[in-house]
Amino acid sequence: MTQRGALIARAAPVLACIGLLALWQVASLLLKNDSFPTAVEAIRAVPAILGDKEALINILASLRRMAVGFGVAVAVSVPLGLLMGRSRQVQAFFNPLLMVIYPVPKAALMPIIMLWLGVGDIAKTLVIFLGVSLPVIYHSFEGAKAVEEKMVWSGAAMGLSAAQRLVRIVMPAALPEILTGCRTGLVLALITMITSEMIARQSGAGNILFNALDMGQYDTVFAMIIIVGAMGICLDAAFERVRARLVRWSEPQFDMPLSFS
Amino acid sequence: MIEIDRVSQVFQTSARSDHLALSDISLSVEEGAFVSILGPSGCGKSTLLYIVGGFVNPTSGIAKMKGKTITGPGPDRGPVFQEFALFPWKSVLGNVMYGPRQQGVRAVDAEAQSRALIEMVGLKGYENFYPKELSGGMKQRVALARTLAYHPEVLLMDEPFGALDAHTRTRLQNDLLNIWERDRKTVIFVTHSVDEAVFLSDKVVMMSRSPGRIRQIVDIELPRPRRRTELLLDPRYQKFVVDIERMFDDDDEAGPGA
Repeated sequence: MTQRGALIARAAPVLACIGLLALWQVASLLLKNDSFPTAVEAIRAVPAILGDKEALINILASLRRMAVGFGVAVAVSVPLGLLMGRSRQVQAFFNPLLMVIYPVPKAALMPIIMLWLGVGDIAKTLVIFLGVSLPVIYHSFEGAKAVEEKMVWSGAAMGLSAAQRLVRIVMPAALPEILTGCRTGLVLALITMITSEMIARQSGAGNILFNALDMGQYDTVFAMIIIVGAMGICLDAAFERVRARLVRWSEPQFDMPLSFS
Repeated sequence: MIEIDRVSQVFQTSARSDHLALSDISLSVEEGAFVSILGPSGCGKSTLLYIVGGFVNPTSGIAKMKGKTITGPGPDRGPVFQEFALFPWKSVLGNVMYGPRQQGVRAVDAEAQSRALIEMVGLKGYENFYPKELSGGMKQRVALARTLAYHPEVLLMDEPFGALDAHTRTRLQNDLLNIWERDRKTVIFVTHSVDEAVFLSDKVVMMSRSPGRIRQIVDIELPRPRRRTELLLDPRYQKFVVDIERMFDDDDEAGPGA
């Protein structure tokens, strides 16, 4: 790539953001709708939210539930997905179950879960857990299924037990696929976090957003959307850095393999 | 060393039909022998190797290693696959050290042994490379070193050079023979190449297919150490190759077609 090309590639995301904000500003000025504040008004409302202690406690509570829901989901889903990929019996048992759960919007379960578990942390964390689990299970399953049998046999010949082969061969071999699932799961965690708080308002980032909506504070609504969006982008970027580091060995590279027999 | 006693293998291809991959195979392999199993694709030669490896259980019959019935894989039998099957998340050194570490060899010792093996297979300087950075021939060298590292008594080689270009293949055949000359480990080598089998082996087990049976066993009485360039001019070598090819041709004419 030329130096100029590299510069353009680096500036592109910033330019895209500025372009989007400009478009928003113009559209808002043209439409003159009370419920559609300008980009400048929304951005101006951001510091007020971030400077408010109550709001910060709410946002941190959201992040904590998200972290717990995501963490528990990954801890449960990865082993389950890997087992499904390696054992026909486990697959036969769980596959129909997952096929039923898969298309159900997890937030739609929120009213029932609230009925059983109340509107507190447990109910909301459970919804996040459900939202994250499926993509992680699915990708772990696909990853484990695609592991080359001969690789597992090579481990068996070295004396690895079935459990050791699952943890020390199938899991690392499937890691790129597992992490792809986790990345989808992370975004879904954010989405289910907000929707759960929309339904069970009590605390959290979703609570601020939808309360402001009820009170007609539209600049706060849009400021919260910006904040949640920025959180999502930061989390995804951080995760992507970790992911790229962990699976460097699997990334295709552009230079040719060494030509030598 | 290895006794295969009336082994048959049936694969269920669909709910109603079965495929007889191996029919009533009996074979014994002596310690220190280099034995090739030669046959067309689909004759079950790899399946036979997997049974010895303990990766596949025979439908009937038994395979024994040193008098003990084989029930599963073990470090006394080391496979080398056509697909290399390296651990892609491990470096060359990490791959070769994996077996010794699994067997409880101390890290320092495992590393020293592995480095020596990597040098022996001609990959000194590539210890920290990842498999994706290597060519096919280099990958197979790593796979061989990885298997040799845990000192199996028998090497089970499943068309190991089948995925390589002709030039690389020749080099690896030569290097394999040189390495084999040092300790004369028992080797079972599956291939569909007649000259590869004759060049490498003490004994060539010819198989025919549908169902997979042993067609004939040919003793390759050629002196060792063998040099490829000398052998190619040797009329005895040429005769083995031609005789074996003729036998396969006869099968094709008499049989249901290739």
